[in-house]
Amino acid sequence: MSSATLSPTSAIEISNLKFTYPAASSVLCVPKWSINKGEHVFLSGPSGSGKSTLLNLLCGTLTPTSGNVQLLGHPFSSLSGSKRDKFRATHIGVVFQQFNLIPYLTVSQNIKAAVYFAAGNGQQQATQQRLSFLLNALQLPENMASQRADSLSVGQQQRVAIARALINEPEILIVDEPTSALDAASRDKFMQLLKQVSKKSTMLFVSHDPSLQQYFDIHTTMDALCLGEQPPC
Amino acid sequence: MLITIAIGSLKQRKSSVLLTLLSIVISVSLLLTVEAVRHQVKSSFASTVSGVDVIVGAPSGDINLLLSSVFRIGSPTKAIAYSNIEMLTEHQAVDWVIPLSLGDTHNGFRVVGTSNAYFQHFMYGNKTPLVITRGNTFTSSSSAVLGADVAAAMNYDLGNTLVLAHGLGNVSFKQHASHPFVVSGILAKTGTPVDKAIYVTLEGLDAAHDTPTASITRVNKPDKPSSHEQHRLPPHSHENEHHHGDASKVVAGSGNYNENYTPKVVSVAMLGLKNRVAALQLQYQLNQNKTEPLSAILPGVVLSQLWSIMGNIEGLLLGISLLIVVASLFGLTTMLLASMRERRHEMAVLRTIGASPLTLLILIQLEALLVSLAGCAISVMVVATLLLTTSEWIGNHYGLYLSGNIFNVESVIIVTTVLVATLLIACFPAISAYRQGLHSGLNQT
Repeated sequence: MSSATLSPTSAIEISNLKFTYPAASSVLCVPKWSINKGEHVFLSGPSGSGKSTLLNLLCGTLTPTSGNVQLLGHPFSSLSGSKRDKFRATHIGVVFQQFNLIPYLTVSQNIKAAVYFAAGNGQQQATQQRLSFLLNALQLPENMASQRADSLSVGQQQRVAIARALINEPEILIVDEPTSALDAASRDKFMQLLKQVSKKSTMLFVSHDPSLQQYFDIHTTMDALCLGEQPPC
Repeated sequence: MLITIAIGSLKQRKSSVLLTLLSIVISVSLLLTVEAVRHQVKSSFASTVSGVDVIVGAPSGDINLLLSSVFRIGSPTKAIAYSNIEMLTEHQAVDWVIPLSLGDTHNGFRVVGTSNAYFQHFMYGNKTPLVITRGNTFTSSSSAVLGADVAAAMNYDLGNTLVLAHGLGNVSFKQHASHPFVVSGILAKTGTPVDKAIYVTLEGLDAAHDTPTASITRVNKPDKPSSHEQHRLPPHSHENEHHHGDASKVVAGSGNYNENYTPKVVSVAMLGLKNRVAALQLQYQLNQNKTEPLSAILPGVVLSQLWSIMGNIEGLLLGISLLIVVASLFGLTTMLLASMRERRHEMAVLRTIGASPLTLLILIQLEALLVSLAGCAISVMVVATLLLTTSEWIGNHYGLYLSGNIFNVESVIIVTTVLVATLLIACFPAISAYRQGLHSGLNQT
């Protein structure tokens, strides 16, 4: 884990972050935390420890009750809704636990939708090249591009979700428990693929499975973030 | 991309979308049909007769006289003595007179006994005269001139002979077979009832009715004259019955066309005046006629009366159709609104990959617009096909001449209004999508 000082090399910086769900008593509190650009960080913690909540705060699907989230030097948590949407589309790639593909769109349409919402319909040739590269890198056959998402196996959906997250070459990649439905062999293969295609991005990988820690140089836990070496919120 | 997503999403909910589409097709088709019929009937009415200042017939009601003489709808009025036509011809205000004798048919098409004055003076549309495309007007007493639709439907050409049937039904057991008519000319298409009629000489028509067959029928049923006789003969005119049995008339009828032939009676007369200002005065004079009760109408005035009666019904139909369209658009909104709950997750995913709330609002509007647009497009095709395929039948049965061309300003306004209304009504589900929470949607599986 990198130092918590504001730095031009920081991809993610959190300070005095607090979040409470409406009508809930528990509070997520992260006094200070940062990840440098290019780092791949493994965040683990038991179920209910607030991992997914933290990820939702980082990708802007939740707004902090107080405190700040800075992404790539931008005050992400205090941006207006529309600016935050645009920032997320352009700079953040998210792979969800449930993959969250649009079932009625094809593989190609699912991936290209992310490009469309980030940049419109321009640069179609570059998008097509990037799509082919990602499908190839993720070992998805080219002809699968025209298949509907709901006709794919779990493993295939998982790889399409990664391709969608990476199509815009995001600086930050947030991955939320994507291996929970996989057996050990498939999980290892998936992790190798993920590491291979996301070399250029800063990655925050969240899982409750400590065995995945081996794929990452930096490891932290939810307990350390909330109560560890940081001063309390 | 948004259109792809919208179409994919609609396909996902095929059953409810198809039912909604069906309701829109039915309602918009209804509205377009009412509007097309209203528009075409109005212009058809206005263009049916032009340049005729007064129509004179036996007293039977203004609208009935107009319908039978101009639209060839319903039974003709009783006949009037030809002496009235002679009186009108000599009237100082009258420029020309077209005598018309109605009541016979040929294979369901109305037969009109008249003189060459009809082809010379009768006009339609914006004072457009009739044009003979092939052949001539009457050249002999047995000449027949065909309306364009009759020639096309019966595949008749110049020189063909045809036999008239007695009465107005499509099927008649009494035919004037002993006096066939020869097609001497075919009129150009007018888009009016003119196209659906066969024009024969008054002399030939009288000759056809004066055959022995006609006499036998009358002798067998002396107390119950046929409907044809009722309108062709002046009341209590036994003298005319004797003329029907005159064989010399049949012989005379096959000779050269006699422009000055004077029948005993005719059904109606169309008058053109030297000065239209005199029309009202002449109408008054004729309605006060002492020698024989007459009814004179001004076609323009009666057309307006007829249209005002139909206009109320048409307004009512248009109103009901509009309400049905509104109801089906609310059905569309209800369908979209009901789907919003099951689509919360989908909306949240779209938001996560970069779609703004405004994009989701546009997406929902687009979905509504696509359904509505498809409904309108199908409706236009359905109505155009329906009118094209039924126009002939409607023309034959109701005298309304409709075309399949519904692409006019009114139909464009209707389609535009439906689309704008769709956008307005679809605001409800669109705003619901706009306001949907991102996180709660993502957590929903």
